[in-house]
Amino acid sequence: MGFNAETLEQAVQGEPDWLLDRRRTALSSFERLPLPSRTDEEWRRTNLAGLDLPAYARFEQRNGHVPERSALPSGVIFEPLAIAAQRHASLIEPLLFSLVRADRDRFSALHAAFFTGGNFVYVPDGVTIDEPILGQHFSHEGGTSVLPHTLIVAGKGARFNYLDEYIAEGDETEGYRSGSAEIFVGEGAEVGYVAVQKWGRNAWHLADQRARLEKDSTLKLFNVTLGARFSKTRVEASLVGPGATAELKGIYFASGEQFFDFHTLQDHQVGNTTSDLLFKGALQDVARTVYAGLIRIEKGAARSDAYQANRNLVLSDKAKATSIPMLEIDNNDVRCTHGATVGPVDPNHLFYLRSRGIPERTAKRMIVQGFFGQVLDRIPFQQARELIEAELEARLG
Amino acid sequence: MADFEIKDLRASVEGKEILKGVTLGINKGEVHAVMGPNGSGKSTLSYALMGHPGYKIDGGEVLFKGQNVLGLEPDVRARLGIFLAFQYPVVVPGISMTNFLRTAINAQRGYDGKDKSKQVSPKEFRSMLKGELEVLHMDDSFLPRYINDGFSGGEKKRAEILQMAMLKPEIAILDETDSGLDIDSIKFVAEAVNRMRGPNLGVLIITHYTRILEFIKPDFVHVLVDGRFVLSGGSEVADRLETTGYSEWMEADEPAVLAKEEVS
Repeated sequence: MGFNAETLEQAVQGEPDWLLDRRRTALSSFERLPLPSRTDEEWRRTNLAGLDLPAYARFEQRNGHVPERSALPSGVIFEPLAIAAQRHASLIEPLLFSLVRADRDRFSALHAAFFTGGNFVYVPDGVTIDEPILGQHFSHEGGTSVLPHTLIVAGKGARFNYLDEYIAEGDETEGYRSGSAEIFVGEGAEVGYVAVQKWGRNAWHLADQRARLEKDSTLKLFNVTLGARFSKTRVEASLVGPGATAELKGIYFASGEQFFDFHTLQDHQVGNTTSDLLFKGALQDVARTVYAGLIRIEKGAARSDAYQANRNLVLSDKAKATSIPMLEIDNNDVRCTHGATVGPVDPNHLFYLRSRGIPERTAKRMIVQGFFGQVLDRIPFQQARELIEAELEARLG
Repeated sequence: MADFEIKDLRASVEGKEILKGVTLGINKGEVHAVMGPNGSGKSTLSYALMGHPGYKIDGGEVLFKGQNVLGLEPDVRARLGIFLAFQYPVVVPGISMTNFLRTAINAQRGYDGKDKSKQVSPKEFRSMLKGELEVLHMDDSFLPRYINDGFSGGEKKRAEILQMAMLKPEIAILDETDSGLDIDSIKFVAEAVNRMRGPNLGVLIITHYTRILEFIKPDFVHVLVDGRFVLSGGSEVADRLETTGYSEWMEADEPAVLAKEEVS
């Protein structure tokens, strides 16, 4: 077995020809591309030893979880992506894998060839949805691949919030996971996107979240990474229309032997655009994290305003966080600020709480919660906030 | 032996000896003032008593409830009934004052997240807060704010005394609670402390200036110079310092006058 043509044909039956063709092209990219090497800057700190891809070439569910549909305004589409690909080909075909490109690297190609499950969300021009749309993706057993893909298309002036929740149910054995999203934010649209990754603690997770923002649009993206033994996520936003604003926030809590890697991109292709990125992480035990973020201001992108910060709270001597902020600016008329911090709990904070009788363990937990608290205020909608706070509380113990 | 007995306490900071043998007994019901010039070891005394990790104990003992508290973690000391009002209350981002106060009260009652019967109820918590806020002339708008974050000097000090009132310690150490306070704030703080005075509370006021002692009358005053007590007595000691300052114990080239603190 393995990820090959035979596996592919078995896994995806009844899909439209254009999609099958696309999968086959991605498969050939997968077969052609080597595993990323540690001489490649992006993968230099990433250890793929132990990843046995062919062992995970089984799929738990072909079409993924069928979302529960609440009453949605007319014209809104919210369906499993594989089903939507048949019914709404004209909407999906031009966009699918145009942001998250199948030939970017071996893992992107694997995901594009074999993606299973995931949702298509389409909100027409001018439509506002008050209640958040909830997408849930499950893994139940190890030794498999679960590769959901989300495609979100917001029409002009559309306003809504969407949540991708990646859930492991009793799945603690090895497996391969992804959870990628492509988000098209139309002119003047306002989209909140939250992704909560809580796969089992032995999963390998590699995912791309990429957005494209048109004129005067706003994206509030919030990434939460809690699960998997190995998690590599790229969070990227291209600002292609003036007045576009991307708020990219993330939190991560790594414990045990977990390894998390984040690569972010704030890509200002045109001027008068704003991006605001803050990723905050806490690490304990022997966990390791890598954050590398790039602000890219292209030549014509005058009067761009970009902010990037990565803050790490290191709770044990053996945990290690690496933070690499980068700028690539081809225009002088811009405002860019970036910064990174890696440090332990402030002993004065700890002493102050303990001087009031609060035990060390509780005090540390409060400090970590407080550290996250300021960024939790930026979660775009309440339902996601409650979910994330509960997850954090359970993990901080 | 006194209820809270400091015996020959010696402590150092970063290798520098600061406290050179401090002995002091405090009984519940008493108010002691420790006065001294800058650098005499006043703050070291307060931090050492509370167990700050930056202060090394070189000798002596502090006996309270039959134990030498110097061997106890700061939170254990606090739960035993010792309270320190900080000279510089610490800003802790991300944690609200309400959460902080409630967690501290629960910790003191032995609630560890399991036995809900030990937990302070929301109703009880609110009523405890309400009375103390009034005495300190505080409104509840600071409760959702992060610990000491953006508080004025006066608000921080009042918040310290609020915590003391909520936690009801048996031994309270007030470390320069008066510094940086305007006269109204000092009066509110003094009123709150005076309300708590009684047979169940011993107080140690650490101060550079005599002003707060006009509002909280001490039973005993001790003068700390260069890590040792050089004079102890009743409240008349403070009156004497009011006129002569610390000059008789100071080197000639150091400031001799006990100047009134400037208040902005």
